[in-house]
Amino acid sequence: MSDGGVTGLLRSLGTGHRPRIFVLGAVLTCLAPLGKTQDSAGVLLDLGDQERRLILQHGPWPQPWSPDPSNRVSGKPEAIALGERLFFDARLSSNGSVSCATCHVPERGWTDGRKLAVGMGEVDRNTPSLLNIRHNRWFGWDGANDTLWAQNVRPLLDAREMGLTEKRIAEFIRGDREYACRFGKTFGAPPAADDEAVVVAVGKALAAFQETLVTGRTAFDEFRDALARGDRAAASRYPAPAQRGLRIFVGKGNCNLCHFGPMFSHGEFHEIGIPVFKKSGGVDWGRYEGIKRLRASRFNLLGAYNDDPKRADGIATRHVALLPQTFEQFKVPGLRNVAATAPYMHNGHLATLPDVVRHYSEINLALLHVAHVYFDPLVPEAIPTDTLLKPLNLTQGEMADVAAFLATLTDPGSLKPRSVAADNSSCK
Amino acid sequence: MKRDVVRRGVMNDALAFMFSAGFAVSAVAQTCELPGGREIESARYVVAYRTKPESVRIGQHFAMDLVICPKVGEAAPENVRVDGFMPEHNHGMNYKAVVKPAGGGRYEVFGLMFHMPGKWDFIFEVRGGGKTDRITHSVILK
Repeated sequence: MSDGGVTGLLRSLGTGHRPRIFVLGAVLTCLAPLGKTQDSAGVLLDLGDQERRLILQHGPWPQPWSPDPSNRVSGKPEAIALGERLFFDARLSSNGSVSCATCHVPERGWTDGRKLAVGMGEVDRNTPSLLNIRHNRWFGWDGANDTLWAQNVRPLLDAREMGLTEKRIAEFIRGDREYACRFGKTFGAPPAADDEAVVVAVGKALAAFQETLVTGRTAFDEFRDALARGDRAAASRYPAPAQRGLRIFVGKGNCNLCHFGPMFSHGEFHEIGIPVFKKSGGVDWGRYEGIKRLRASRFNLLGAYNDDPKRADGIATRHVALLPQTFEQFKVPGLRNVAATAPYMHNGHLATLPDVVRHYSEINLALLHVAHVYFDPLVPEAIPTDTLLKPLNLTQGEMADVAAFLATLTDPGSLKPRSVAADNSSCK
Repeated sequence: MKRDVVRRGVMNDALAFMFSAGFAVSAVAQTCELPGGREIESARYVVAYRTKPESVRIGQHFAMDLVICPKVGEAAPENVRVDGFMPEHNHGMNYKAVVKPAGGGRYEVFGLMFHMPGKWDFIFEVRGGGKTDRITHSVILK
């Protein structure tokens, strides 16, 4: 109705010609849609106090951060520069062709767009994004590491990822004039004689760089902050489908219970009915095996490589419980930039964001509640799984709205190509 | 009986689940002193606790000062376990709390964490005299 609205009504009345559609259009325009408030810039859903409170919990953004006390070079410019060089250096692999950036591609949200990551060979899991990783408590889909620097050591030594040994890494670092110089400036001493100590130091420098990878503010953050300050005009600029999707997210979807807070993740683990059989064979037990590996690791926060003498951050590692319900649980990922990091889930099982939304809408409860574990070789024990998830039975329109909301968590500025910074020049 | 409501992780004392201090004190053995705070009881014990920090935040570890007093004629606690559970989700904490006796019916509890918003039950299992009492106290974390 190009001539609709009040203008159309007045014009049609003046000429005596009354196209009924113009009158109808004028009437419809003047009526506020049910449950919405008309502002000059757009529409704003009439959010209740509870909805508003829950939405505000997803901010503010950015979140404050302080250097990791377990990593003595966390936050230091020299370490960040060293870590950046290491991150993009394909010589840090057994065949000289795989770097961290092979799987963690900057313009792909620091993932790779594959179902399963491929380094020296294909692995069993999807590449997680490195954006905002500094806010994590646990690292890896199974949380097998409790620090970012320890998580960096793992792929270096995995035959299917970088395929190196501690000896090769240490010899490479000691033998490279640039790295040996940078080690001295970063750690106050040249690379140690102990190979393992050098590998841990490499992990810490990489972590210092990765801690700088954060997403900026998004359309959602602008909406959230507008709500917080009561700016209805600004809030109404947030697209209506995204508002509807957000209402479902914090309402009947209960998505916010796990995808909680400014990171859109409570940082823990959950089982959500994704198949766990590995392409390489066997079952991926997820968090259960992750806890076992964490406890056995020399690099955890309870070990000698924690630079914090108070071991203040080790409480989670000290108290984490190896329970039957941790079988098939995987880390709840943060949702910032989620629209840019397909495919999804620990094994890339779901190709698109609409597929993810449909998964939760139609979730098969039998997959969740049937977990039999053979602690005894003959007698299975039924492991109770939690009852949080239920099929949401969303309409097509509702699923589209949820996807529309999730798309507003994207920071386009964080999706640009990147390599070693131009000012990260030679060590002197 | 009102449940505690935790607003933004803050437990509101105005809605605390309380028994009158006078009744509780007269029912417990004279050697055990209840400090005040939240008090709950079973057939054999009275439990009082305070979380540290006082404002429990979702996804943040917290500790607890705990006092367990046997009622008159009942056995002193020999073993105490503290846990958390979400009855509406049918799952507990991802962490195992450690209870350290501090003497005089007092205990320090470490390693607690409530990782999701919603209704949580504190569960206190007190074993004494060959029997175990299970005492729960619901709170809502928002």
